[in-house]
Amino acid sequence: MAAPTLDVVLTGLAHDEATGSLRVGKEGTVYFSRGRVSYVECTATPGVEGLLGASGRISVTGVRHTRQEAGPGGDGGALLVDRGVLSRGELEFCMLSATLDAAFFLLTSRTVRTRFRENGAHWLGIHWFFDVPGLLRECARRRARLERAWPSAELDARPVTPLRQIPGTRALLTPLQWELLLAADSAATPVELARRLGRPAYSTLLAVRELGAAGLVVTGETAALPKRTPKAPAPPPAPPLAPSGKPGAAGSGPPQVNGDATDVNLLLRLRDALEAL
Amino acid sequence: MIGIEDCLSEAMSIPGALGAILVDHTSGMAVAGKGIPDPGRAAAGLSEAYRATLDGIAMASEERGFRIEDVIVTTGSAYHLVRPMEMMFDGPLLLCVQLDVERSNLALARRRLRTITDELVAS
Repeated sequence: MAAPTLDVVLTGLAHDEATGSLRVGKEGTVYFSRGRVSYVECTATPGVEGLLGASGRISVTGVRHTRQEAGPGGDGGALLVDRGVLSRGELEFCMLSATLDAAFFLLTSRTVRTRFRENGAHWLGIHWFFDVPGLLRECARRRARLERAWPSAELDARPVTPLRQIPGTRALLTPLQWELLLAADSAATPVELARRLGRPAYSTLLAVRELGAAGLVVTGETAALPKRTPKAPAPPPAPPLAPSGKPGAAGSGPPQVNGDATDVNLLLRLRDALEAL
Repeated sequence: MIGIEDCLSEAMSIPGALGAILVDHTSGMAVAGKGIPDPGRAAAGLSEAYRATLDGIAMASEERGFRIEDVIVTTGSAYHLVRPMEMMFDGPLLLCVQLDVERSNLALARRRLRTITDELVAS
Protein backbone atom coordinates (compact mmCIF):
# COMPACT_ATOMS: atom_id res chain seq x y z
CA MET A 1 0.00 0.00 0.00
CA ALA A 2 1.33 3.44 -0.91
CA ALA A 3 2.17 5.77 1.94
CA PRO A 4 -0.42 8.50 2.53
CA THR A 5 0.48 11.96 1.28
CA LEU A 6 1.49 14.61 3.78
CA ASP A 7 -1.77 16.56 3.59
CA VAL A 8 -3.68 13.36 4.48
CA VAL A 9 -1.38 12.77 7.49
CA LEU A 10 -1.83 16.39 8.63
CA THR A 11 -5.60 16.21 8.23
CA GLY A 12 -5.63 13.01 10.31
CA LEU A 13 -3.64 14.61 13.12
CA ALA A 14 -5.95 17.64 13.07
CA HIS A 15 -8.92 15.31 13.33
CA ASP A 16 -7.34 13.52 16.31
CA GLU A 17 -6.62 16.89 17.96
CA ALA A 18 -3.02 15.76 18.33
CA THR A 19 -0.36 17.60 20.32
CA GLY A 20 3.26 16.93 19.42
CA SER A 21 5.70 17.03 16.54
CA LEU A 22 5.61 15.27 13.20
CA ARG A 23 8.94 14.59 11.52
CA VAL A 24 8.67 14.57 7.76
CA GLY A 25 11.59 12.51 6.42
CA LYS A 26 14.73 14.56 6.84
CA GLU A 27 13.08 17.62 5.37
CA GLY A 28 11.28 19.11 8.31
CA THR A 29 8.95 19.04 11.28
CA VAL A 30 5.35 20.09 11.84
CA TYR A 31 4.40 21.08 15.40
CA PHE A 32 0.84 20.44 16.53
CA SER A 33 -1.09 21.75 19.47
CA ARG A 34 -4.57 20.29 19.98
CA GLY A 35 -4.94 19.57 16.31
CA ARG A 36 -3.80 22.95 15.13
CA VAL A 37 -0.41 23.72 13.59
CA SER A 38 1.69 26.06 15.70
CA TYR A 39 4.96 25.95 13.76
CA VAL A 40 6.59 24.26 10.77
CA GLU A 41 10.29 23.85 10.05
CA CYS A 42 11.80 22.89 6.72
CA THR A 43 15.48 22.45 5.87
CA ALA A 44 15.00 24.36 2.61
CA THR A 45 13.67 27.54 4.22
CA PRO A 46 15.08 29.88 6.87
CA GLY A 47 13.34 29.35 10.22
CA VAL A 48 12.68 32.04 12.81
CA GLU A 49 16.28 31.57 14.03
CA GLY A 50 17.63 32.30 10.55
CA LEU A 51 15.32 35.27 9.97
CA LEU A 52 16.22 36.77 13.35
CA GLY A 53 19.95 36.23 12.79
CA ALA A 54 19.84 37.89 9.38
CA SER A 55 17.83 40.83 10.70
CA GLY A 56 20.78 41.83 12.87
CA ARG A 57 18.59 42.11 15.96
CA ILE A 58 20.27 39.19 17.68
CA SER A 59 23.37 37.09 16.94
CA VAL A 60 23.29 33.39 16.19
CA THR A 61 24.93 32.79 19.59
CA GLY A 62 22.31 34.99 21.23
CA VAL A 63 19.60 32.81 19.73
CA ARG A 64 21.37 29.65 20.93
CA HIS A 65 21.68 31.01 24.47
CA THR A 66 18.01 31.94 24.56
CA ARG A 67 17.15 28.49 23.31
CA GLN A 68 19.17 26.83 26.09
CA GLU A 69 17.66 29.13 28.66
CA ALA A 70 14.12 28.40 27.52
CA GLY A 71 14.77 24.66 27.87
CA PRO A 72 12.37 21.93 26.82
CA GLY A 73 8.75 23.00 26.98
CA GLY A 74 9.76 26.61 27.59
CA ASP A 75 8.70 29.75 25.80
CA GLY A 76 11.78 31.13 24.04
CA GLY A 77 9.66 33.57 22.06
CA ALA A 78 8.43 35.29 25.22
CA LEU A 79 12.04 35.54 26.44
CA LEU A 80 13.05 37.29 23.20
CA VAL A 81 10.14 39.72 23.53
CA ASP A 82 11.01 40.44 27.18
CA ARG A 83 14.56 41.28 26.15
CA GLY A 84 13.35 43.72 23.53
CA VAL A 85 14.80 41.74 20.61
CA LEU A 86 11.47 42.07 18.85
CA SER A 87 7.91 43.11 19.62
CA ARG A 88 5.06 40.69 20.18
CA GLY A 89 3.56 41.63 16.84
CA GLU A 90 6.88 40.97 15.14
CA LEU A 91 7.30 37.61 16.87
CA GLU A 92 3.82 36.52 15.80
CA PHE A 93 4.39 37.66 12.24
CA CYS A 94 7.85 36.09 12.17
CA MET A 95 6.49 32.72 13.31
CA LEU A 96 3.50 32.73 11.01
CA SER A 97 5.64 33.78 8.09
CA ALA A 98 8.29 31.12 8.74
CA THR A 99 5.56 28.51 9.22
CA LEU A 100 3.86 29.25 5.91
CA ASP A 101 7.19 29.39 4.13
CA ALA A 102 8.25 25.99 5.49
CA ALA A 103 4.82 24.43 4.90
CA PHE A 104 4.86 25.55 1.29
CA PHE A 105 8.10 23.68 0.60
CA LEU A 106 7.41 20.71 2.87
CA LEU A 107 4.12 19.99 1.14
CA THR A 108 5.87 19.72 -2.22
CA SER A 109 8.50 17.26 -0.96
CA ARG A 110 8.31 13.70 -2.23
CA THR A 111 9.21 12.11 1.08
CA VAL A 112 6.19 11.17 3.07
CA ARG A 113 7.93 8.98 5.67
CA THR A 114 6.59 10.58 8.80
CA ARG A 115 6.98 9.92 12.49
CA PHE A 116 4.80 11.52 15.16
CA ARG A 117 6.06 12.18 18.65
CA GLU A 118 3.59 13.11 21.37
CA ASN A 119 4.11 16.33 23.28
CA GLY A 120 7.12 17.57 21.33
CA ALA A 121 7.07 21.37 21.36
CA HIS A 122 9.17 23.98 19.63
CA TRP A 123 11.55 25.99 21.83
CA LEU A 124 10.00 29.32 20.75
CA GLY A 125 6.67 28.33 22.25
CA ILE A 126 3.26 28.84 20.68
CA HIS A 127 2.46 32.28 19.32
CA TRP A 128 0.23 31.69 16.32
CA PHE A 129 -2.08 28.93 15.12
CA PHE A 130 -3.17 27.60 11.77
CA ASP A 131 -5.92 25.11 11.28
CA VAL A 132 -4.85 22.40 8.81
CA PRO A 133 -7.43 23.15 6.07
CA GLY A 134 -6.47 26.84 6.24
CA LEU A 135 -2.78 26.00 5.95
CA LEU A 136 -3.36 23.71 2.95
CA ARG A 137 -5.55 26.36 1.31
CA GLU A 138 -2.94 29.04 1.79
CA CYS A 139 -0.22 26.82 0.28
CA ALA A 140 -2.44 26.20 -2.76
CA ARG A 141 -3.15 29.94 -3.05
CA ARG A 142 0.58 30.65 -2.96
CA ARG A 143 1.23 28.12 -5.70
CA ALA A 144 -1.42 29.80 -7.83
CA ARG A 145 0.12 33.21 -7.06
CA LEU A 146 3.50 31.95 -8.35
CA GLU A 147 1.89 30.68 -11.53
CA ARG A 148 0.26 34.07 -12.07
CA ALA A 149 3.59 35.85 -11.77
CA TRP A 150 5.37 33.60 -14.28
CA PRO A 151 3.73 30.35 -15.35
CA SER A 152 6.78 28.11 -15.33
CA ALA A 153 8.82 26.45 -12.61
CA GLU A 154 12.01 26.69 -14.68
CA LEU A 155 13.41 29.61 -12.66
CA ASP A 156 12.74 27.98 -9.28
CA ALA A 157 15.73 25.65 -9.27
CA ARG A 158 18.07 27.43 -11.67
CA PRO A 159 20.87 29.77 -10.55
CA VAL A 160 19.64 33.36 -10.65
CA THR A 161 21.48 35.14 -13.47
CA PRO A 162 20.64 38.80 -14.07
CA LEU A 163 20.74 40.03 -17.66
CA ARG A 164 23.61 42.43 -18.34
CA GLN A 165 21.27 45.04 -19.77
CA ILE A 166 17.62 45.71 -19.06
CA PRO A 167 15.28 45.18 -21.98
CA GLY A 168 13.32 48.41 -21.56
CA THR A 169 14.26 51.93 -20.65
CA ARG A 170 13.66 51.62 -16.92
CA ALA A 171 12.98 48.93 -14.36
CA LEU A 172 10.97 49.11 -11.14
CA LEU A 173 12.25 46.82 -8.41
CA THR A 174 11.03 45.86 -4.98
CA PRO A 175 13.58 45.99 -2.14
CA LEU A 176 13.87 42.19 -2.19
CA GLN A 177 14.39 42.12 -5.96
CA TRP A 178 17.19 44.66 -5.61
CA GLU A 179 18.88 42.57 -2.91
CA LEU A 180 18.50 39.46 -5.04
CA LEU A 181 20.07 41.04 -8.10
CA LEU A 182 22.99 42.25 -6.01
CA ALA A 183 23.47 38.85 -4.36
CA ALA A 184 22.97 36.79 -7.53
CA ASP A 185 26.23 35.16 -8.57
CA SER A 186 24.89 32.97 -11.40
CA ALA A 187 25.51 29.95 -9.14
CA ALA A 188 23.00 30.24 -6.28
CA THR A 189 19.38 29.18 -6.79
CA PRO A 190 16.52 31.30 -5.40
CA VAL A 191 16.22 29.09 -2.31
CA GLU A 192 19.96 29.32 -1.62
CA LEU A 193 19.82 33.10 -1.99
CA ALA A 194 16.89 33.21 0.43
CA ARG A 195 18.95 31.44 3.09
CA ARG A 196 21.92 33.69 2.43
CA LEU A 197 19.83 36.86 2.73
CA GLY A 198 17.64 35.61 5.58
CA ARG A 199 14.47 36.15 3.56
CA PRO A 200 11.52 33.78 3.25
CA ALA A 201 12.13 31.32 0.42
CA TYR A 202 8.64 31.76 -1.01
CA SER A 203 9.02 35.55 -1.27
CA THR A 204 12.33 34.97 -3.02
CA LEU A 205 10.83 32.50 -5.47
CA LEU A 206 8.04 34.95 -6.23
CA ALA A 207 10.48 37.84 -6.65
CA VAL A 208 12.61 35.78 -9.06
CA ARG A 209 9.59 34.76 -11.12
CA GLU A 210 8.55 38.42 -11.31
CA LEU A 211 12.07 39.30 -12.41
CA GLY A 212 11.71 36.62 -15.08
CA ALA A 213 8.39 38.08 -16.20
CA ALA A 214 9.98 41.55 -16.36
CA GLY A 215 12.80 40.10 -18.48
CA LEU A 216 15.54 41.02 -16.01
CA VAL A 217 17.00 37.55 -15.39
CA VAL A 218 18.11 34.84 -17.79
CA THR A 219 15.20 32.51 -18.52
CA GLY A 220 14.85 29.27 -20.48
CA GLU A 221 14.61 31.05 -23.82
CA THR A 222 17.97 32.68 -23.42
CA ALA A 223 19.74 30.07 -21.30
CA ALA A 224 18.82 27.12 -23.51
CA LEU A 225 20.87 28.49 -26.37
CA PRO A 226 24.42 27.79 -25.12
CA LYS A 227 23.56 24.12 -24.63
CA ARG A 228 24.99 23.30 -28.05
CA THR A 229 28.51 23.15 -26.55
CA PRO A 230 28.42 19.43 -25.62
CA LYS A 231 27.93 18.45 -29.27
CA ALA A 232 31.71 18.14 -29.78
CA PRO A 233 32.34 14.38 -29.54
CA ALA A 234 35.97 14.59 -28.49
CA PRO A 235 37.91 17.53 -27.12
CA PRO A 236 40.16 19.07 -29.75
CA PRO A 237 43.89 18.67 -29.08
CA ALA A 238 44.28 22.41 -28.49
CA PRO A 239 41.29 24.65 -27.88
CA PRO A 240 41.22 27.55 -30.34
CA LEU A 241 40.59 30.06 -27.59
CA ALA A 242 42.11 28.79 -24.37
CA PRO A 243 40.53 30.64 -21.47
CA SER A 244 43.17 32.54 -19.63
CA GLY A 245 43.23 32.35 -15.86
CA LYS A 246 42.03 29.36 -13.88
CA PRO A 247 42.83 26.04 -15.54
CA GLY A 248 40.03 23.55 -15.67
CA ALA A 249 37.34 26.20 -15.56
CA ALA A 250 36.53 25.83 -19.25
CA GLY A 251 33.52 23.58 -18.68
CA SER A 252 31.73 25.97 -16.36
CA GLY A 253 32.62 29.22 -18.09
CA PRO A 254 30.60 30.98 -20.76
CA PRO A 255 30.42 29.32 -24.17
CA GLN A 256 33.35 30.13 -26.38
CA VAL A 257 32.55 32.35 -29.33
CA ASN A 258 34.69 32.11 -32.45
CA GLY A 259 32.61 33.85 -35.06
CA ASP A 260 31.39 30.82 -37.01
CA ALA A 261 27.90 30.62 -38.49
CA THR A 262 26.35 28.91 -35.45
CA ASP A 263 27.50 31.71 -33.17
CA VAL A 264 26.09 34.38 -35.43
CA ASN A 265 22.91 32.37 -35.53
CA LEU A 266 22.89 32.20 -31.74
CA LEU A 267 23.32 35.95 -31.47
CA LEU A 268 20.43 36.51 -33.87
CA ARG A 269 18.20 34.19 -31.87
CA LEU A 270 19.26 35.90 -28.67
CA ARG A 271 18.40 39.29 -30.16
CA ASP A 272 15.01 38.00 -31.32
CA ALA A 273 14.30 36.55 -27.89
CA LEU A 274 15.17 39.83 -26.18
CA GLU A 275 13.08 41.84 -28.60
CA ALA A 276 10.16 39.51 -28.02
CA LEU A 277 10.19 40.26 -24.27
CA MET B 1 3.05 46.55 23.10
CA ILE B 2 0.33 44.70 21.23
CA GLY B 3 -0.04 41.54 19.14
CA ILE B 4 -1.79 40.95 15.84
CA GLU B 5 -5.25 40.26 17.30
CA ASP B 6 -5.12 43.32 19.60
CA CYS B 7 -4.03 45.44 16.69
CA LEU B 8 -7.19 44.51 14.80
CA SER B 9 -9.40 45.11 17.84
CA GLU B 10 -7.82 48.53 18.28
CA ALA B 11 -8.36 49.34 14.62
CA MET B 12 -12.02 48.32 14.95
CA SER B 13 -12.37 50.69 17.91
CA ILE B 14 -11.61 53.70 15.68
CA PRO B 15 -14.90 55.66 15.42
CA GLY B 16 -16.78 54.67 12.27
CA ALA B 17 -14.71 51.52 11.60
CA LEU B 18 -16.55 48.96 9.46
CA GLY B 19 -13.79 46.42 9.00
CA ALA B 20 -10.06 45.90 9.48
CA ILE B 21 -7.63 43.49 7.93
CA LEU B 22 -3.89 42.77 8.07
CA VAL B 23 -2.39 41.82 4.73
CA ASP B 24 1.03 40.36 3.95
CA HIS B 25 1.88 42.43 0.91
CA THR B 26 4.48 40.09 -0.62
CA SER B 27 2.24 37.06 -0.81
CA GLY B 28 -1.10 38.91 -0.81
CA MET B 29 -2.26 36.81 2.14
CA ALA B 30 -4.88 37.85 4.67
CA VAL B 31 -3.10 37.43 8.02
CA ALA B 32 -6.20 38.21 10.08
CA GLY B 33 -9.34 40.26 9.69
CA LYS B 34 -12.38 41.57 11.54
CA GLY B 35 -15.64 42.68 9.97
CA ILE B 36 -14.45 41.68 6.49
CA PRO B 37 -16.80 39.18 4.78
CA ASP B 38 -14.20 37.62 2.43
CA PRO B 39 -10.70 38.29 3.81
CA GLY B 40 -8.92 36.36 1.03
CA ARG B 41 -10.51 38.46 -1.69
CA ALA B 42 -10.03 41.71 0.20
CA ALA B 43 -6.35 40.90 0.84
CA ALA B 44 -5.69 40.16 -2.83
CA GLY B 45 -7.39 43.38 -3.91
CA LEU B 46 -5.79 45.60 -1.30
CA SER B 47 -2.34 44.26 -1.94
CA GLU B 48 -2.75 44.86 -5.70
CA ALA B 49 -4.06 48.37 -5.03
CA TYR B 50 -1.07 49.11 -2.82
CA ARG B 51 1.37 47.73 -5.39
CA ALA B 52 -0.18 49.87 -8.14
CA THR B 53 0.00 52.94 -5.89
CA LEU B 54 3.66 52.30 -5.10
CA ASP B 55 4.60 51.83 -8.76
CA GLY B 56 2.54 54.81 -9.88
CA ILE B 57 3.91 57.17 -7.26
CA ALA B 58 7.45 55.93 -7.93
CA MET B 59 7.08 57.09 -11.53
CA ALA B 60 5.28 60.33 -10.70
CA SER B 61 7.33 61.49 -7.74
CA GLU B 62 10.67 63.25 -7.91
CA GLU B 63 11.21 62.56 -4.21
CA ARG B 64 14.12 60.20 -3.75
CA GLY B 65 13.68 57.07 -1.67
CA PHE B 66 10.17 58.05 -0.66
CA ARG B 67 8.06 55.94 1.69
CA ILE B 68 4.31 55.71 1.65
CA GLU B 69 2.94 56.72 5.04
CA ASP B 70 -0.59 55.75 4.17
CA VAL B 71 -2.97 55.49 1.24
CA ILE B 72 -6.45 56.99 1.49
CA VAL B 73 -9.19 56.16 -0.98
CA THR B 74 -12.62 57.77 -0.59
CA THR B 75 -15.60 56.04 -2.13
CA GLY B 76 -19.27 57.03 -1.95
CA SER B 77 -19.84 55.60 1.49
CA ALA B 78 -16.43 54.72 2.93
CA TYR B 79 -12.85 55.72 3.51
CA HIS B 80 -10.30 53.00 2.83
CA LEU B 81 -7.08 53.56 4.75
CA VAL B 82 -3.99 51.46 4.09
CA ARG B 83 -0.95 51.82 6.31
CA PRO B 84 2.21 49.85 5.51
CA MET B 85 4.54 48.58 8.23
CA GLU B 86 8.07 47.55 7.36
CA MET B 87 8.80 44.23 8.99
CA MET B 88 12.35 43.17 9.76
CA PHE B 89 12.72 40.43 7.16
CA ASP B 90 9.76 40.60 4.83
CA GLY B 91 6.82 42.74 4.12
CA PRO B 92 5.53 45.27 4.31
CA LEU B 93 2.54 44.22 6.33
CA LEU B 94 -0.49 46.36 5.49
CA LEU B 95 -3.03 47.41 8.08
CA CYS B 96 -6.19 48.30 6.17
CA VAL B 97 -9.29 49.85 7.70
CA GLN B 98 -12.64 50.66 6.16
CA LEU B 99 -14.50 53.56 7.75
CA ASP B 100 -18.04 54.82 7.38
CA VAL B 101 -17.72 58.18 5.65
CA GLU B 102 -20.61 59.65 7.66
CA ARG B 103 -19.50 58.52 11.11
CA SER B 104 -15.73 58.92 11.00
CA ASN B 105 -13.12 61.61 11.26
CA LEU B 106 -10.34 61.06 8.75
CA ALA B 107 -7.64 63.02 10.58
CA LEU B 108 -8.34 61.22 13.83
CA ALA B 109 -8.44 57.84 12.11
CA ARG B 110 -5.05 58.42 10.47
CA ARG B 111 -3.50 59.31 13.81
CA ARG B 112 -5.01 56.32 15.55
CA LEU B 113 -3.81 54.04 12.79
CA ARG B 114 -0.29 55.38 13.14
CA THR B 115 -0.33 54.79 16.91
CA ILE B 116 -1.58 51.22 16.43
CA THR B 117 1.05 50.29 13.86
CA ASP B 118 3.79 51.86 16.00
CA GLU B 119 2.71 49.71 18.92
CA LEU B 120 2.60 46.55 16.82
CA VAL B 121 6.16 46.75 15.53
CA ALA B 122 7.90 48.67 18.31
CA SER B 123 9.68 46.65 20.94
